[in-house]
Amino acid sequence: MLNVEQLTKKLPDGRALLNGISFRVARGEFVGVLGASGAGKSLTLRCILGLTQADGGTATLQANDGQTFELTTCKGRCQREARRRMGVIFQGFNLVKRLRVIDNVMIGRLAQIHPLRSWLYGFTDAEAAEALEALRRVKMEKYADRITGSLSGGEMQRVAIARAVFQKPSLYLADEPIASLDPSNSLAIMKLLQPLAKETPVLGVFHQPEMTARFCTRVIAIKHGKVVYDGDPVLSHAQLEDIYGDELMQVLRPTPALPPEPEASSSAFVGQVDEATPGLLAKQAT
Amino acid sequence: MNFPTTGSPRSAGPLLPLRLRKPLLVLIVLGGLVVVSARLCKVDLAEFVPGLAKGVEVLRFFFPPDWSSLQEMVGPALVTVLLAAVATPLGVLLSFFFGLAGARNLSPGWLRSTARTLIGVERALPEIIVLLLLVAALGVGPFPGVLALAIGSVGMLGKLFADAIEELDAKVLESVGSVGATHSQIIRFAVLPEVMPALLSHSIFRFEVNLRASVLLGAVGAGGIGFELQKAMALLEYERAMMAVLVTLLLVFGAERISDYLRRRVLDGGKLA
Amino acid sequence: MSATGLSVSVLAYVPPSVLFRRRAAIIAGVVAFVSAAGIYLNFKPWMLFTDFHHLVRLADEMIPPNVALLWRKTALYQSVAETVAMAFLGTLVGGVVAFGLAFVAAKNTTPHPWLRSVARLGFGVERATPNFVVLLILFIAFGFGPYAAMIALAIGSVGMFGKLFADAIEQIDPGPCEAVASVGANPLQVIRYAVIPQVLPSVVANGFYAFDVNMRAAIALGVYGGGGIGFELQLAMKVLRYPDVLALILLVIVLITGMERVSDLIRRSLLRSDILK
Repeated sequence: MLNVEQLTKKLPDGRALLNGISFRVARGEFVGVLGASGAGKSLTLRCILGLTQADGGTATLQANDGQTFELTTCKGRCQREARRRMGVIFQGFNLVKRLRVIDNVMIGRLAQIHPLRSWLYGFTDAEAAEALEALRRVKMEKYADRITGSLSGGEMQRVAIARAVFQKPSLYLADEPIASLDPSNSLAIMKLLQPLAKETPVLGVFHQPEMTARFCTRVIAIKHGKVVYDGDPVLSHAQLEDIYGDELMQVLRPTPALPPEPEASSSAFVGQVDEATPGLLAKQAT
Repeated sequence: MNFPTTGSPRSAGPLLPLRLRKPLLVLIVLGGLVVVSARLCKVDLAEFVPGLAKGVEVLRFFFPPDWSSLQEMVGPALVTVLLAAVATPLGVLLSFFFGLAGARNLSPGWLRSTARTLIGVERALPEIIVLLLLVAALGVGPFPGVLALAIGSVGMLGKLFADAIEELDAKVLESVGSVGATHSQIIRFAVLPEVMPALLSHSIFRFEVNLRASVLLGAVGAGGIGFELQKAMALLEYERAMMAVLVTLLLVFGAERISDYLRRRVLDGGKLA
Repeated sequence: MSATGLSVSVLAYVPPSVLFRRRAAIIAGVVAFVSAAGIYLNFKPWMLFTDFHHLVRLADEMIPPNVALLWRKTALYQSVAETVAMAFLGTLVGGVVAFGLAFVAAKNTTPHPWLRSVARLGFGVERATPNFVVLLILFIAFGFGPYAAMIALAIGSVGMFGKLFADAIEQIDPGPCEAVASVGANPLQVIRYAVIPQVLPSVVANGFYAFDVNMRAAIALGVYGGGGIGFELQLAMKVLRYPDVLALILLVIVLITGMERVSDLIRRSLLRSDILK
């Protein structure tokens, strides 16, 4: 369970990027975070993860094994322990392209094995077998031995989810997981995340209100660094207008067809990341 | 080719000398440098042709090469190759650490600057100077030779490795960190696999370089075929020296072929780790 | 673990234990080879620790560096200038010759294919011959000193850059060549107007790289007797004046790093001013 209270982050000149963000994520929930570009959605996630240092407020993670972590002040060993209990899925997939798919999945448990062991002989066959199970869940088990760079965007994102699943975390965090995917792949990913959320809560930042309306159990909206909505996943047009302002037309427009995904070829290091059009993906301020 | 620019009518006159002015200036400066350098190098153009003739005449003494000495050269040739073969892995290992330390995305500012400075200093030192220093301290033999080659590799490989690591996608490193991995685990699972083909390719090339350097260093005391060569020249046994040169040619050509082949395999296939 | 019972074809992937064994075998192989070679060479790595005091003693004798030498011995500036001049002329002369020969060695501009093989072989042989052999021959021809060293550097540059330039020529786009030829130009004109403009940036870049390499080579050749700062350095070592040695080494470092910066600057300003001749 995640409890975020009054999270703040300021720019050096004093302007507030996050202005007292507060919300909770409880068991069984699939929470979607919406907001205009630059509103602070991804930044919130990064502060929770510790990838960016928050200036104030707290984010408390209560793990399944009973341990509690204060994420904003956690450093070093404590931070690694906390991250071990959070499974993260990134927008750009961010997998190690030269490794095999199964190796990328096994990376999920790096925090659970001793560094010396990881240098000496890496993972055991039993762990590999479990990783295969995680791949099975995302229907990628046939790709286990393939080089990750040869996969398409949708396939890579599924591997990323498998990695998170393999981690056996207490919370999943997803930073715009479908923003780089075409509509059919986006749908497939959302369909994977939804049942996942029933066992372990998912906190996802999205730029697609129609997706969150359909799959999430709850929606939070952030505007100018504050939470302005927290409740039913289905939002009215007026509410969406309030959240997105001018961007609304772009956000509601169906995702334009992306160039066809590269054929998953045998040539190893293709690794094309499809980027969606710039209008939908303004870079979040860090 | 003097089209008047639109909107700003200029006469074609001034444009012409202006365009020629810069290359002319460059030529004059270049010419001046050439004259100054020639003076410094004590270039004597009058001496050139007779000197060349003398050189060609000396070349006569090198042929035919002394085939009988071939057998004696095998041992030293092996020494030369092995010197490079031992020094290169050591140098690669050392350079790997320097590379990690010298990478902006892995290493704190002060460590990076120190590492990069050391790498730069080493790069500026010709290997021979490193060897002379080591010989002065440790005497002649294979030990200072291997050390000199290994340390010498750090200049080139250290920079290449550090650059390769800096080019890695920071998001991938961040992603592996997000599962809770320690720094060394990030290096093992995110940095190493991505950087490995470049590492191998540069290391294999460095072996080639080290082989040539091993010959040169041999002449100054590290042993091997270089030493034989130098000895033969000093004793005016030119046919024997020619034999040594032929053996060197064989070694270097062989190393080049093998190195090209291996590097192509590595860059295409990505085998190993 | 238990995976040894399963054949790899049953699993969808190569299990970690198998990969580990492969990797361990390779590493063990390399270690064994290096150790064997080391033993053959009589290379005792522990010497680094037992004989470390020798290095310390040397460092002791070198420090503090006799930096005063740098402004007291004005002949040093001549040596520095000599070294730079050697490298400069060697690169220039060698570069020009290499550039000319490169056309013979490139398959798309060579007058005869066998000439190309001869040229390429010549480059290769030159590259493989150790520098000092060429130098020693030149000493006989021209006497000791920078003249011979400069010619040695020029010859060395021909070997190195003949190959690079020839490769660059071979990689150009044939389109412009056909275009120029189609208006009735003779081969030399094709070269002048179609080949050279395409190859020029690479030639210039390689030229500066050659200068860097030759700077270092000039110092090394100086050690063998070619003059310049290299000669001063080995002289200082011979007479065991180690503080002088360190001062000269520092001078070398400053010189080479400085030259690198200068040549970088010149290269960049050349690229900016675009000499489109």
